[in-house]
Amino acid sequence: MKRNVRSLALVLVVALCVAALAGCSASSGTKPTASAPTFKDTFTYAQGADPRGLDPALVDDGESSKIIVNIYEGLLKYAPDSTKVEPALAESWTISDDGLSYTFKLKQGVKFHDGTDFNADAVKFNIDRQLPPKVTADMGYAGFVFGSVKDVVVVDPSTVTINLNQKNTAFLANLAMSLAAPMVSPKALTDGNNSVMEAPVGTGPYKFVKWSKGENVVLVRNDDYWGEKAKTKNVVFRFISDNSARVLALNNGEVDMIDGIDATVVDKVTQGGDKLFEAPGMNVNYMAYNTTTAMFKDVAARKAVSQAINVDELVKSLYQGYSEKATTILPTFVPGYSADVQQVGYDEAAAKAGLAAAGIKKIHMIAYTNPRPYNAATGVALATAIQGYLQKVGVECTIDTFDWTTYKAKVKEGNYDIAFYGWIGDNGDPDNFLNLLADKDPSMNIARWQDPVYIDMIKKGLQTANGPERDAQYAAMEKYVAERAIWLPISHAKTLAAYGPKASGFNYHVTGNVFLSKAVVGQ
Amino acid sequence: MLKYVIKRVLMVIPVMIGVSIIVFSLMRVFSPDPAPIVLGQHATQESITTWRHANGLDAPVINQYFTYISHALKGDLGTSYYTKSSVAREIGARFPATIELAVAAILFATVLGVLLGVMAAVKKNSIFDAAGSLFALIGVSIPIFWLGIMLIMLFAGFLHILPSGGRINVMLEPAHVTGFYMIDAAIQGNWDGFKDAGWHLILPALTLGMYSMAIITRMTRSSMLDTLGQDYIRTARAKGISETKVIGKHALRNSLIPVTTVIGLQFGALLGGALLTESVFSWPGIGKYTVDSILKSDFPVVQGIVLLVAVIFVTINLIADLGYAFLDPRIKYSSKKEG
Repeated sequence: MKRNVRSLALVLVVALCVAALAGCSASSGTKPTASAPTFKDTFTYAQGADPRGLDPALVDDGESSKIIVNIYEGLLKYAPDSTKVEPALAESWTISDDGLSYTFKLKQGVKFHDGTDFNADAVKFNIDRQLPPKVTADMGYAGFVFGSVKDVVVVDPSTVTINLNQKNTAFLANLAMSLAAPMVSPKALTDGNNSVMEAPVGTGPYKFVKWSKGENVVLVRNDDYWGEKAKTKNVVFRFISDNSARVLALNNGEVDMIDGIDATVVDKVTQGGDKLFEAPGMNVNYMAYNTTTAMFKDVAARKAVSQAINVDELVKSLYQGYSEKATTILPTFVPGYSADVQQVGYDEAAAKAGLAAAGIKKIHMIAYTNPRPYNAATGVALATAIQGYLQKVGVECTIDTFDWTTYKAKVKEGNYDIAFYGWIGDNGDPDNFLNLLADKDPSMNIARWQDPVYIDMIKKGLQTANGPERDAQYAAMEKYVAERAIWLPISHAKTLAAYGPKASGFNYHVTGNVFLSKAVVGQ
Repeated sequence: MLKYVIKRVLMVIPVMIGVSIIVFSLMRVFSPDPAPIVLGQHATQESITTWRHANGLDAPVINQYFTYISHALKGDLGTSYYTKSSVAREIGARFPATIELAVAAILFATVLGVLLGVMAAVKKNSIFDAAGSLFALIGVSIPIFWLGIMLIMLFAGFLHILPSGGRINVMLEPAHVTGFYMIDAAIQGNWDGFKDAGWHLILPALTLGMYSMAIITRMTRSSMLDTLGQDYIRTARAKGISETKVIGKHALRNSLIPVTTVIGLQFGALLGGALLTESVFSWPGIGKYTVDSILKSDFPVVQGIVLLVAVIFVTINLIADLGYAFLDPRIKYSSKKEG
């Protein structure tokens, strides 16, 4: 028996050696590099997936966008903590009296990473490729950003005029976007057959080095950058699809910052000695009444239902602090937000009376089964909570649930009294949120509300120059919608990220982009 | 023999047709329409129609299939809807990672599996036999993704001695020559990179190879037991040959024939079947890519990968069968009737 035990020990030792050898013939007892201290000249950021590509005109996803903002710049940019627009590659701009011509004075001496000059011709080239006849169906944001552009005129090498077909104040906000708007080297585009998906060339603080598919994108500091040079030499974007695995990589010191985490892994982040970053999100999660039904044509009926729902309590219990209660449709940092707007408040007694007066006993809801960026708890969880509130006031709700793709089709069909939806802002302009309620397309305007006065207000908003007057117009629109209880705004989901104790200096912007030119990792 | 080879090679054709039809129809029946996914939040009905037309999705499915096959036969697997780059290129960029992992996994599985199998057979009914069988049982029963997660939690999360995922520390990544990081690093004398790539391979290779290891252990044990009961072994022992030689030279060699086939088949399966392991370890191979592409309804990519995996599987099967005949002269594949 003793011999057997000794032999067994031998076998186990051999097996372990073999296991190590099979994986790696170099396990000579050296410390693995992965656990070595992070390179101080490299900042590693982990996200859930590869970018779709790195040509800002040809992509529409957040994963691409985060990398793009570190390589490219547009004519304008957002302020670090809001969606107010500021100069970037354009030093200044003037708007003609009729609001149709925008003339930009460009920064001089700026070069693309390939050494070519950034100038008015480059601006024209970049916009022209996204206008008819050159624009293609797969340029997802061309229509949104440049849809109102008539033509682009080069005045001189550092001056360019963009003429619009109609007044559109949101155009300035569009130019600060990370999709479609960033300036790409015309030479790179010409060489790459009108695509720089895998070979991006911009003017930004970082230059593209390589993209190992499924693994990482590596960027290196642009030492010829016109502005303040990036602090860390290399930036690596790693792709780790699983949320928990991403947290583990952070805890293990393999990466310095991660995004796309949710409430379920928050504890693991802090337990691992890492820090949580919460940014307000540019989104809204809402419930909409189908204003074309006999039941909800009537504003009193809509108000009565809204009164039955304790939004405050609901948001706290459903989202556990990772969403803020929405008091308006606009997130607080978007110009036009007003703290004075009052939604229909929670009042159970008034709800009962109102529902009885309107004769409402049954409500048909539809909801989506999956989490959405603005609603981590899923549409069904939200609908069920609301069903509970309505039951308390004697209204019976039926909920039909569908996966997201089917749900969108059902919304389009319009066979519901109440539906749930949300919106992720594109450009930080108030019009981007509030025009949903004026849209003719019922898959956008799911309340199916068409109010001529409101539509007119939206039109005016687009024609007013940025400033206090315009902000007041959007506050008035919010009030107009709130008084009519078209939607019940529920919440704004926060953007969650996590970072290592030695990482700092990054700017996780409200648009969901992360600017890393000032990011550093301590030794 | 030649006739058999030709017959087996020809049989590949209906298999490939079958596979292509199945994957083509499954994607179209069960996947959501790719157009809204590709075109995003601001897609209009008009842009969706234009895009569908440009990608031939408005044609009858039968026509789509024949167009696809005719292109595929010319070596053109199409363009990814999502990234707009060629499917062959996208697969090519990821395939070396899958092969590297599969090779490491099968090496682990073979060495450990054969060792355990032989031990178990030689010391039949001993504690080794029981331990080997138990290990094999665990190996076949344990869910791969669970094992992977547990290993990551233990070695990366708790002990902090191994990386949690990925192929290599990017700063040590060698220039791509073969695409196999350990080989590339070795060629370039980048020993830090070589080691780092090795460290990254351990956990995924263990995870992926576990099931194959169990199968190989069982196969080796039973084949070895069979052989050990043969007359010639008794004769060898009677001749006074040392036990080590009897086992190592006479018994093991002969019992390895069926084991070789199993190893071949397992390797084929590993090449195409690392979906879970690659996803758990963020291993940038075609397994993870398949999962991502299915979720995005990227038809050309999924079709391309399935066709490729089918070709590999069929080829390895073929080689294993032929190798079997080659290794064991008693086996003859002949169309002539025995007698």
